[in-house]
Amino acid sequence: MSIRNVSRRRFLKLGATAGGGLIIGVNLPGCSFSGALPIEQESDGFIPHAFLQITPDNQVIFYCPSDEMGQGVRTGLATIIGEELDFHPQNMLVKAAGLHKDYANPEFGVQATGGSNAVRVFWGPLRQAGADTRALLLNAAAQDLGVSASELTTDNGYVIVGGDRFPYGDFVTTAAQLAMPIETPLKSNASFRYIGKEFSRVDALAKSTGAAEFGIDADIPGMVYAVVVRAPVAGARVLSVDKTAAEAMPGVVAIVPVSSGIAVVANAYWRAKNASQALKISWENIPLGQISSAQVRTDFEAALAEGDTVEASNQGELAAGFDAASNTLEADYFAPFLAHTPLEPMNATLHISDNSAELWTGVQSIQGAQGLVERLTGLPRSNIRVNNLYLGGGFGRRGTLTHIVEVTEIAMAIDKPVQLLWSREDDIQNGLYRPASLMRIKAGVTTDGTVSAWDVQRAGGNITSNTLTNMLPALLPGLPSSLLNGLSGFAEYLFSQWTVDPSSVEGLHETYDFENHRIVHATVDHGLPLTFWRSVGHSYTAFAVESMIDELANRAGMDPVSLRLANTQNKPRMQGVLQTAQAAMKSMTVPDGHHLGIAAHSSFATDVAEIAEVSIENGEIRVHKVTCVADVGTAINPDIVRAQLEGAVMFGLTATLYGRIDLDQGKVKQSNFHDYPILRMDRAPAVDVILVDSGGDPTGIGEPGVPPIAPAVANAVFKATGQRLRELPLKLA
Amino acid sequence: MIEFELNGQPVVFNGASDTPLLWAIRDHFKLKGSKFGCGAGLCGACTMHVDSTAMRTCVLPVAAVAGKRITTIEGLSDDGLHPLQAAWVEHNVPQCGYCQSGQIMSAAALLSSNPRATTDDIDQALAGNICRCGCYPRIKEAILSVAALSYDATIEETSA
Repeated sequence: MSIRNVSRRRFLKLGATAGGGLIIGVNLPGCSFSGALPIEQESDGFIPHAFLQITPDNQVIFYCPSDEMGQGVRTGLATIIGEELDFHPQNMLVKAAGLHKDYANPEFGVQATGGSNAVRVFWGPLRQAGADTRALLLNAAAQDLGVSASELTTDNGYVIVGGDRFPYGDFVTTAAQLAMPIETPLKSNASFRYIGKEFSRVDALAKSTGAAEFGIDADIPGMVYAVVVRAPVAGARVLSVDKTAAEAMPGVVAIVPVSSGIAVVANAYWRAKNASQALKISWENIPLGQISSAQVRTDFEAALAEGDTVEASNQGELAAGFDAASNTLEADYFAPFLAHTPLEPMNATLHISDNSAELWTGVQSIQGAQGLVERLTGLPRSNIRVNNLYLGGGFGRRGTLTHIVEVTEIAMAIDKPVQLLWSREDDIQNGLYRPASLMRIKAGVTTDGTVSAWDVQRAGGNITSNTLTNMLPALLPGLPSSLLNGLSGFAEYLFSQWTVDPSSVEGLHETYDFENHRIVHATVDHGLPLTFWRSVGHSYTAFAVESMIDELANRAGMDPVSLRLANTQNKPRMQGVLQTAQAAMKSMTVPDGHHLGIAAHSSFATDVAEIAEVSIENGEIRVHKVTCVADVGTAINPDIVRAQLEGAVMFGLTATLYGRIDLDQGKVKQSNFHDYPILRMDRAPAVDVILVDSGGDPTGIGEPGVPPIAPAVANAVFKATGQRLRELPLKLA
Repeated sequence: MIEFELNGQPVVFNGASDTPLLWAIRDHFKLKGSKFGCGAGLCGACTMHVDSTAMRTCVLPVAAVAGKRITTIEGLSDDGLHPLQAAWVEHNVPQCGYCQSGQIMSAAALLSSNPRATTDDIDQALAGNICRCGCYPRIKEAILSVAALSYDATIEETSA
């Protein structure tokens, strides 16, 4: 059956960031945390503002406002503030910031991490905070030393006067009495001594010795362990449960109904896990239970055939553009649902005692986690403490906090600290997914290589409805549920049929000039929960756009890089990237039987081109080497930038070669790494990263390396075999 | 009651004998460096050494290690950093870091049996360890750098 007719159309346009993705563009009322800073003061430590503490023995502590999930944000932001403070970031103690409005992401308006924006949006504020603090220390030193501040300079944590060096810590007592200077002039890029330099990440050592503490490592005396059995078809509710056998299993402490299913609590994880398998649960039937994978694409195609679309972008004269074209092509591209599979499964540890609560976890929104505990327990905000530890991978998955809801419901039902852990099967089968997408592109190209007409239709689900459903209760803990439901309903009414979720269509034309284009969208929502997945909409739109560009070049008999250069005349950064990629390709020695494919894409304000060297061995696609050319503006730590781009290539290759979540009667078929494989060492290509420095402010590095790799490989496969593969994961005929 | 040696110390485990070694180590002995990733021996995050062999401990019942020597990331080196750990920092290997204990334990087992491991040896020995962040090229470089040290040392010994 088809459920298009009952598809939900509630997608609230929250606004698009400069680089894509979603933002909540206002400071939400009732969710600011403006009390005392959540900083433990060291003995006589000086806390000039939310980001720093300086102790008399010259220890500088940096409170990092963004969550470290591997992207190197602790090192990056420490480097930015350290540059202006003049203190080497490697000598800082970097701690995860607690919850406070001063740590809110300036673009999101809430304390959250995502959209590859942390370095970009904190670049200005942290430089200013570092410069003002250094100026303050100089004023204090001038007073203490009886000299003019203009006679003083600094060197990596020391005030220099004449031949004498005094640690910053000598002046913190005086500094605490003085007014903080404002708008201190910032350093010129030419005088940077830490920005642009390469050194080890501040967390590299702890992450090489097993000492780094992740959410899963929290260990509270007396805690018990919980697992949850969730609906095999997402969203189905429990009709009945027979817990007799499970209750009789050794170590079982309690069996607790939670909003997502049934929790089993035991005195060891292994016992909770075993007992959970003895539960007999009957689940309600819901429409998603009728959906299998083949139906998904059929429904997308039917929606486009009906023409029931909403316009996302329209520019120029499409008909005239097609008239001017010497070649016209039309093709459909398809990308499946995907799971994130961060290697650390979802987990949370919560201790509710008397009138307070303490949570240990690793999430992309500490504010959301706190808000959920507040909403569910009714405890005063100031009595809820959240410890956000290292995240064992995020990729967008840790922005959704249903595990925080679960752990809170369990902890409220039993009188003990509790640790909730999802299994890998839970993660793959009961999670949220990258939306499947059908993209139909009709394009015309003139004899001189100008794409004169670009007409795109996208069908699929939107991430915003799930995002809103999950985020609003977390971010507006004071708002009663009835009002939230009203808000959702109002949004549904207001936006249904009138606007397009920006993340559903991002990247379908923005990389190129495309003076005559139209992007339309058909929402087809089967009810599978959807969310951000590293590079969000770009993860599938780049595959369609860059495959079609290659098809046009092939049809027009043009070099694919030249065609891209001809259509990015108004995109100077991408021009620079493409020219560098072209030069790199010309200098490559390609072994016999190997073929090159290229793709380029702009996302998160960063421009990237990737060249994949591919061969076909025993009917299998082998990727030997990837050259990644990127303009990320000023690279704060070029080695970390390279690491992110290398990792993005690997993450994208998993999706290119293996990744697919299939539905069988609404249930996710895949369950663990044997049937949801991840790229492994023996198939990992060498990656050569070339950074093109246009000298601008820093832009995103975590996500932009993902989108180009799938089309780069697909375009190389076409060269190798003549087969144009228009569906992910790539599968040779 | 199961007795074994953990990082050089004799220990006793009194919990259920079918408990996977990983959970005994993490939740009973409170050594948290070894990680849970899949529970099926597919990702390698839980890798420890059992009598010098790298094993996936999320599927290894604790009863199976009675009388054996278990080494975890915490016990890999009793004298500062293991050369691989130093190489990991030097090559800026970790991203999220969650898999790295397992990667290092697999690499250490490889180098202890094959000090001059080649790229192919590494591909084979580390293929059981998933890194979702995709640090593979750096993991490989870091291991090769330690293998090269061993190679250089051999040359020096030979020429001395």
